[in-house]
Amino acid sequence: MIARLPVYVGLGLVYAYRYTLGALAPASCKYHPSCSQYALDALRTHGLLRGSILAGWRILRCNPWSHGGVDYVDGQRLFR
Amino acid sequence: MMTPLFLLEPIEGPLTSLLEWFHNTGGLSWAWSIVALTILVRVVLLPLTVRQIHSMQSMQVHMPEMKALQQRYKDDKQKRNEELMKFYKENRINPAASCLPILFQIPVFISLFFVLRDFDDEVFPKYQEMGETVADLHWLNLVPDITAPANSHWSGYMLLALYAISQTLSTLLMSQTMDKTQRTLLLILPIAFLFVVLNFPSGLVLYWVTTNLWTVGQGLITRRLMPKKTTEPVKRSSRTPAKEEAPVAKPEPAADAVAKASQPSGPPRRVKRKKKRAKR
Repeated sequence: MIARLPVYVGLGLVYAYRYTLGALAPASCKYHPSCSQYALDALRTHGLLRGSILAGWRILRCNPWSHGGVDYVDGQRLFR
Repeated sequence: MMTPLFLLEPIEGPLTSLLEWFHNTGGLSWAWSIVALTILVRVVLLPLTVRQIHSMQSMQVHMPEMKALQQRYKDDKQKRNEELMKFYKENRINPAASCLPILFQIPVFISLFFVLRDFDDEVFPKYQEMGETVADLHWLNLVPDITAPANSHWSGYMLLALYAISQTLSTLLMSQTMDKTQRTLLLILPIAFLFVVLNFPSGLVLYWVTTNLWTVGQGLITRRLMPKKTTEPVKRSSRTPAKEEAPVAKPEPAADAVAKASQPSGPPRRVKRKKKRAKR
């Protein structure tokens, strides 16, 4: 439980984003699942450090020059 | 120095300097300096926006197929989203929304929040020594003090109303491809947020109104840019131009071209539907 604490902090931050600033921005993500959902999944399955890296990489990919698409945490190839 | 979030200091510094520059060199009042700063931020983001507009265009072209997809999987939201995303990928559509530009604005917004919150402690005393008073913090003589919370004066409520209206408008314009529940939520949220924004400095609400109005303007230009009649083969036109023209193209000249090429009147919504029928 205590070992999972950092992860909960990360999850809390994502939820905080979702219900505050994320909700203010009138746009959604081009990926499925959305970046915030991806971040939640990544944090849950890979922990704070790796999860954050995965989420950060996903957000960087979620830019106007990419094409979006279906992209689950399970499909990641950064950490194998 | 200014905030507990030391990470934002590299953003706060330049923002403060720019704000002061607009005030000192530009000769603008503090309130108008905020507006100018906001516009500057949005102009810097414009290259990203142009990309988004192009991708929205190709989205519009493929709308009938996407609607059909949505119809086919209307009971299974998960499956529908997946199929939709596959479709984007196959047709090399870049859905207008992407997280990075949004996230890009968040640190700026938070920094601006701190800059404006600490304005009367960190920036203004300097100017008070030079002879400025609280009277110099007004906006259009309506808002007496842009550093005071929005709910401390009736004009703040006017700003809040402007905020709610501009937020709703920008949502309406930007969320055409979203599903209904999501859209409804986004339309209700600004009202809920009003209660949070109440305590924000008026200057911050001013920023939010400006940025929303900019979004609305962008949305209106985008609507004019939407392909009204597709004479070119659909797939070819959607793919290459969006990738190659984007860095060069500016919204204004393109808007002129479209306006010249097509009939000037008629709301885009109706045209969209017409196009769909013609295709089937």
